[in-house]
Amino acid sequence: MDFTGRDIISIADFQRSEILHILARAAEVEATGRGKLLAGTVMATLFFEPSTRTRLSFEAAMLHQDGRVIGFSDVASTSTRKGESLADTIRMVEQYADVIVIRHPRDGAARLAAEVSRVPVINGGDGANQHPTQTFLDLYTIAKLQPALATGERALDIAFAGDLRYGRTVHSLVHALCHFRVNLLLVAPRGLELPEQYLEEARQAGVAVRTVASLQEAAAQSDILYMTRLQEERFPDPLEFDHVKASYRMTAAMLAGARPSMRILHPLPRVNEIATDVDATPHAQYFAQAGNGIPVRQALLALVLGRQP
Amino acid sequence: MSQDPPTTSGSRIRQVEAISNGSVIDHIPTAVTLKVAAMLAGSGDQLFIGANLRSSRMGRKGVVKIAGREISAHAASCLALLAPGATVSIIHDYQVLRKLPVEVPAEFTDVARCANPNCVTNHERWSSRLAVVGREPLRVRCCYCERSFLGTDLALM
Ligand SMILES: [Zn+2]
Repeated sequence: MDFTGRDIISIADFQRSEILHILARAAEVEATGRGKLLAGTVMATLFFEPSTRTRLSFEAAMLHQDGRVIGFSDVASTSTRKGESLADTIRMVEQYADVIVIRHPRDGAARLAAEVSRVPVINGGDGANQHPTQTFLDLYTIAKLQPALATGERALDIAFAGDLRYGRTVHSLVHALCHFRVNLLLVAPRGLELPEQYLEEARQAGVAVRTVASLQEAAAQSDILYMTRLQEERFPDPLEFDHVKASYRMTAAMLAGARPSMRILHPLPRVNEIATDVDATPHAQYFAQAGNGIPVRQALLALVLGRQP
Repeated sequence: MSQDPPTTSGSRIRQVEAISNGSVIDHIPTAVTLKVAAMLAGSGDQLFIGANLRSSRMGRKGVVKIAGREISAHAASCLALLAPGATVSIIHDYQVLRKLPVEVPAEFTDVARCANPNCVTNHERWSSRLAVVGREPLRVRCCYCERSFLGTDLALM
């Protein structure tokens, strides 16, 4: 499977076999550790909106494999403010770099950039649309914690909790999980349920979806519990937000009925939805999940740059 | 425009004044008749519009006639987005010279704007590309922001 020159724009562009190939490469890269996989290559990070953690993860991924990094993360200091088109920015940057990582507030900006660019483009988040490297690292984390994801030997129970309506992270992961043998469990505040289009996608893929009543139930019945942030601005009534916030807060005590192998993921940053006493339990895997961003991004960079280990 | 109504034409579309030469767009869903007319009006051509006409096939329908000219390729594309089930007849000397099928392409390029206000195509000078993902009703998906919309909900370019 050759990914040389390919853009990484949307999880919807990838078939199951391609996803598995990427996850396998990430496992190899992680097993090898730091090295010279990306030596002699230059990555440009074009962050038209700030996202410190995504940028740091991409930069660390390059630096740990001897790659080099250029870029900006402050739109105020770039020529975009002077009215330069996105296409022109890309046409300039492609002269300097072997691969471009773009983060942009507009939906679809990464696809536009990829159409312009002669070098591969990786989407680091385009508005509310896609953030495919997050989805790949989520899948990698799940496959690492629950090998049944890749082998398909049994159906994994994967629960999603929190704001399932607006979270693009959840939407992309649900879409990707439809390629695998999973059951989905959903728990969301009223008004923040998973949009119908994703339920329909799951139905068409033969993935069973059921709603559970509480966070405890989700914890008790799942192999993976994927939690998300609740944002106050999604609630018209501040009192309702306070009420919901209290019932969507995971504590160590609530994990008494959980399967021993159940693991909790979260795209971070967490605010109040996971109490710090959960961190010390074997269920907590959200920091390791963030760490998995390194081998996953290294594997993607190596693949699109045509670098073999 | 004053002209004598035709006596020879057996067309069912005489609920709107006949034209001697031009294009007749028939079987337009009533709800989008005025949108089709507005789209065609931009050309400056003389138009005759019939809305809420009785139709055995559709119940109610719209008809738009363009005097003196064949429908442009761009207008035909717009028509495919708004009214993919419509029929186009080219009229010559009050007779139907030929009928053109309304062809729905796999992708509409620069026909309509993406309806997502945060879509990059509404902020950069760049082509609009809308892939057809459903036929009845016609649904399209923006190739950039990946959102999908009904064809009739979109603003034409
Ligand atoms: Zn769009």
